[in-house]
Amino acid sequence: MILAVLFANSVGNILVERFNGVPAEERLHWRSFLVKLGADNLKGVKNEELLVACHKSVYIVYTVLGDVSIFVVGKDEYDELALSEVIFVITSAVKDVCGKPPTERLFLDKYGRICLCLDEIVWTGLLENTEKDRIKRLIRLKPPTEF
Amino acid sequence: MAQPLVKKDDDHDDEAEYSPFLGIEKGAVLQEARVFNDPQLDPRRCSQVITKLLYLLNQGETFTKIEATEVFFAVTKLFQSRDLGLRRMVYLMIKELSPSSDEVIIVTSSLMKDMNSKTDMYRANAIRVLCRITDGTLLTQIERYLKQAIVDKNPVVASAALVSGIHLLQSNPEIVKRWSNEVQEAMQSRAALVQFHALALLHQIRQNDRLAVSKLVTSLTRGTVRSPLAQCLLIRYTCQVIRESAGNTQTGERPFYDYLESCLRHKAEMVIFEAARAITELNGVTSRELTPAITVLQLFLSSSKPVLRFAAVRTLNKVAMMHPMAVTNCNIDMESLISDQNRSIATLAITTLLKTGNESSVDRLMKQITNFMSDIADEFKIVVVEAIRSLCLKFPLKYRSLMNFLSNILREEGGFEYKKAIVDSIVILIRDIPDAKESGLLHLCEFIEDCEFTYLSTQILHFLGIEGPKTSDPSKYIRYIYNRVHLENATVRASAVSTLAKFGAMVDSLKPRIFVLLRRCLFDSDDEVRDRATLYLNTLGADGAMDETNEDASEFLFGSLDVPLVNLETSLKNYESSDEPFDISSVPREVKVQPLAEKKAPSKKPAGLGAPPSGPTATVDAYEKLLSSIPEFSSFGNLFKSSAPVELTEAETEYAVNVVKHIFDQHVVFQYNCTNTIPEQLLENVTVLVDSSEAEEFAEVASKPLQSLPYDSPGQTFVAFEKPQGVPAVGKFSNILKFIVKEVDTSTGEAEDDGVEDEYRLEDLEVVAADYMQKVGVSNFRNAWENMNPDSERVDEYGLGPRENLSEAVNAVINLLGMQPCEGTEVVPSNSRSHTCLLSGVFIGNVRVLVRLSFGIDGEKEVAMKLAVRSDDESVSDAIHEIVASG
Repeated sequence: MILAVLFANSVGNILVERFNGVPAEERLHWRSFLVKLGADNLKGVKNEELLVACHKSVYIVYTVLGDVSIFVVGKDEYDELALSEVIFVITSAVKDVCGKPPTERLFLDKYGRICLCLDEIVWTGLLENTEKDRIKRLIRLKPPTEF
Repeated sequence: MAQPLVKKDDDHDDEAEYSPFLGIEKGAVLQEARVFNDPQLDPRRCSQVITKLLYLLNQGETFTKIEATEVFFAVTKLFQSRDLGLRRMVYLMIKELSPSSDEVIIVTSSLMKDMNSKTDMYRANAIRVLCRITDGTLLTQIERYLKQAIVDKNPVVASAALVSGIHLLQSNPEIVKRWSNEVQEAMQSRAALVQFHALALLHQIRQNDRLAVSKLVTSLTRGTVRSPLAQCLLIRYTCQVIRESAGNTQTGERPFYDYLESCLRHKAEMVIFEAARAITELNGVTSRELTPAITVLQLFLSSSKPVLRFAAVRTLNKVAMMHPMAVTNCNIDMESLISDQNRSIATLAITTLLKTGNESSVDRLMKQITNFMSDIADEFKIVVVEAIRSLCLKFPLKYRSLMNFLSNILREEGGFEYKKAIVDSIVILIRDIPDAKESGLLHLCEFIEDCEFTYLSTQILHFLGIEGPKTSDPSKYIRYIYNRVHLENATVRASAVSTLAKFGAMVDSLKPRIFVLLRRCLFDSDDEVRDRATLYLNTLGADGAMDETNEDASEFLFGSLDVPLVNLETSLKNYESSDEPFDISSVPREVKVQPLAEKKAPSKKPAGLGAPPSGPTATVDAYEKLLSSIPEFSSFGNLFKSSAPVELTEAETEYAVNVVKHIFDQHVVFQYNCTNTIPEQLLENVTVLVDSSEAEEFAEVASKPLQSLPYDSPGQTFVAFEKPQGVPAVGKFSNILKFIVKEVDTSTGEAEDDGVEDEYRLEDLEVVAADYMQKVGVSNFRNAWENMNPDSERVDEYGLGPRENLSEAVNAVINLLGMQPCEGTEVVPSNSRSHTCLLSGVFIGNVRVLVRLSFGIDGEKEVAMKLAVRSDDESVSDAIHEIVASG
């Protein structure tokens, strides 16, 4: 299960957070934990370089893209490798929508599209789509090209 | 409109500061949502409003029931628009709002229409939305369409239906299970993702049918699986099949191993990893099977991608727990990871190295760790501390450098959990390695001089009180303890007073000086501290009136409370204040044995300070008190050993009974712990009728019935036997539980007056040789062995017959003798052909026994064993050989 997908800006404000199967009372804890993790480790990290951490049986893969930090949390079959696949799809889709690694402003400008992309990639905790070109078409309700 | 979305051609200079959602407010956005009701819909504007709503929701904002309903109804109006972008937004919005079941009906028809639309993408999205908001009744209506969608030519539609199936399986399994044929068909799809989703769903549908899963795996491992994700799933399912088929294979060839091995050469990294992990986790994996997996993992250790390095070192860390030797080849690569930027990787590398390292590499490793410790977070430090603790127990001779390391990090900054882990480790080392005691205690003393955690200070003071007086120079600890009385808060001061009193009670030469210190505490500002000082001064006889003997004082200071705390708590809660004071002797002393207690993981070490000095002794103490409080058994002398509870009934039967065997020099007492699990019954006069015809040396001498056994309130009945003195007599006993059963009216809780006699057959019980042996370890086996009289040594060789592997033979002999394995020699490296195991124990009559076992296994799996025994009494050495010979 993919437990959470979270986007934050460079000072740790949340831009998008989507939790699956995480009780409401634990979300605040996760949010601050992830933001702190980013603040401690993401300085000077190159775009899309993946960092990884684990906490008990939960895995976290995170990275930075432009002004935005992206965190993906998973457990069981979504271990660090599966999550790196998920985060790869997410970063490519975001880059695709924004045309480049986004500034915070650009990210917010494209907010609606990014939400649609996330909706195509992760569906209540399961990975659904993995190709950015297909996702690009799907969010405009166009069938995939190979079809 | 509160804040319009900024157009792209706006001034870009202040781009960074200006957010399009600046000052966004829920109320205003809800107002804006009225545009959804416009007769002439503006798709662009509507999309912008939905984006704002999404932004609010994604920030953790919540809508009230009324707000959500209003937005939901408004959004449903947008189905009128034919704008594709807007429709996509509408689907997402409905999912986010997750409407309640009474509202769902509004959109059902629109969604059903979309589900049958000619536009594929409408179909895919409508399926996802419907499945998200649907309930069981609606599902039966749309089931037909979903089955069609699973085999739809468009992969997006098929995937949408399959993923919906995975979600719906949780809530409506019986419906989704009917789709098995369609899912099977989707498995053949040329689209990689469809195959992945279909495989996941098909496996979930069939997961309880072993044969079907096995068939699925067999056919797929032969065919082609397109997506790497699906390949990973297949590897997992294959492992499941391998696990379940274990024991059925006679040929020695492991089924599917070739498939797993071939996956190590797959082009996708995730598949390689999954296969490597699967191989390392195989049951009883051989070193030949492990080698290719370890080799690929070793390559990933030096990968440029942190995720791959992490995955490799994490897997190797797990392997190191079971097969440390297999990982040693990777040690050099792992040492370079200690300086890895990513702290998770570095910590895993260090803990793996600590497991695989040998005695000679400890010092070098410690140097590297010292540099590393300063820049990692507490949670990683705790992991390292725990690894160092087990390393120290593994190589007791290295205690000096490891103890120094622990004391150094104890002085550095750190949070409570971290400090507690260090203190716990030092305490465990002090207990297990006698040579480390004095230096360890001094480290703890230095720590409490500057300790900010009250809990740790009090625990250390308590521990000092027990261990300090037994050292060669107890006086040197007094300064540290008395300093606490001046410098700390009331809780710590009170603990310090208690500790001082313990020194006074145990060390006569210190007593007068301790009195001086305790008298100073009489003027403390806190009443608890004053009370304790007064109490201890009186107990220790400071006022010259020796009304208490030394023994009484020690008993008071060191003895445990002789009533179970749970019972005391219950009694205190039930006590109503009145003129009659609370009487502690009225608290029941019968221990409610928890049958699960002995099922704890055997490897769990007692958790440092939190646990009493040693777990088993505490239980024995409780048993001893319980037995001596029963007049019939009070003349039996000292209790030698109590066994772990042995279950005499199956799980979940009407009456649950287990038995504890108490061994005395001349007697054996069976304590039957009974639980009545039927609310409608009250059992009275419960006894166990024991037939000892197969235990010739035993004669029943006493039986103590249990007066009453109400529902779910465990009770005990006892039967005692006499046996020849000092002889490890063995035998088999059959048991029948006898009782009078009375019906209980569950509404009133009252039992009927008349009962019926009844009986219940229990399983047989055996007294075996191991019952006469206490598991008592020695810290340095070699010293202990050489200090024992060589004339007492008895050596002989035995053939143990064919065995699966050496490990099985070693465990069988350990269990037969019931002795404590020393220095970790109970673990046999896999595929070893010879092994030496060291055992220590105390035999009945308090005779120390040491055993050295040498095992060998040949090509036909025949195991031979050489048994050398030394003990304080030659006849016991002979007895051990007799036990092995007859076992």
